[in-house]
Amino acid sequence: MFFHKKLTHTITLHPSFLGPRMREFVTQRLYEDVKDLCSGRYGYIVAVVAILEIQMGKILPGLGSAEFEVKYSAILFRPFRNEVMDAVVTKVNRMGFKSMAGPLEIFVSTQLIPADMKFNQHSNPPSYHSEEQKIEVGTLVRVKITGVRIDATAIYTIGTIKEDYLGVIE
Amino acid sequence: MTRGEAMIKRKTQPRAQPEGELDAGKLELGEDFQDAECLLISEVKVLLEAQYEGRKGEEEDKEMSGVFTRTLEYVQKFGRYTNRDTIKEVRALMKPTSLHPFECAQLGNLCCSEYEEAKSLVPSIGDKIGDEDLDSLLKQMDSLKKYQG
Repeated sequence: MFFHKKLTHTITLHPSFLGPRMREFVTQRLYEDVKDLCSGRYGYIVAVVAILEIQMGKILPGLGSAEFEVKYSAILFRPFRNEVMDAVVTKVNRMGFKSMAGPLEIFVSTQLIPADMKFNQHSNPPSYHSEEQKIEVGTLVRVKITGVRIDATAIYTIGTIKEDYLGVIE
Repeated sequence: MTRGEAMIKRKTQPRAQPEGELDAGKLELGEDFQDAECLLISEVKVLLEAQYEGRKGEEEDKEMSGVFTRTLEYVQKFGRYTNRDTIKEVRALMKPTSLHPFECAQLGNLCCSEYEEAKSLVPSIGDKIGDEDLDSLLKQMDSLKKYQG
């Protein structure tokens, strides 16, 4: 689910940056720090929407660097257990298939794929197919997240398509 | 990092809630997200496209972050509402209901055709809204999607 939230980030600037373009350096550093960041607490930080406030810098005693607390609002992407979302299949193999929902990877194992969908190893590309539907790379699927594991830099999720209204999207 | 910097950094890292407690099916999103504003995929699309246009015009050819690019592709593929007015109308449709922002965003993103599908995919809705009201809401959202400019 995408959220819009106000966050705070602390930027430390070396004394050489404390000049006329100081605010610019702070904003640049914020964009660089937040780019590609996946935090365990807030999920993926997709983009900074606006910088709300750059507080007065505080000089660190003994160091000379200045510390700025920057308040900004950002778009976050954070999956939750039992959330349903759409995804694109990226890899199919005997164990199941991997799909991507934005920056997030969701793995659906064979056990959580309906029994009537069989893995066809001879097809090119490899696919799961039943009488009416086929899952191969590029298929759009509706997945329900069953487990979320968050570590310091990434989020790993597993999902299911074994319930009503889930599976291939026409 | 010097010891001074490490000490300051440590005090600003609060602990996150254990993952096992969070459950979208019961609307338990943790204290960070329980009251947070939820965005429709189409709203994210509008925001990211605006940022992308802005960044394209910059002098240096800055590399877009992988997260940004993948998300942009995703929202362009799955964003159902193409213009801002339609998004505003969808939001206005859901405002008078007593649904949680998470549930409203899920309904807007999943575009269910009937109330059974909606209640199955977003179980936390439960009895918050009657079946007929939900059905009429979904049909109005569907016609907005079909007849958008």
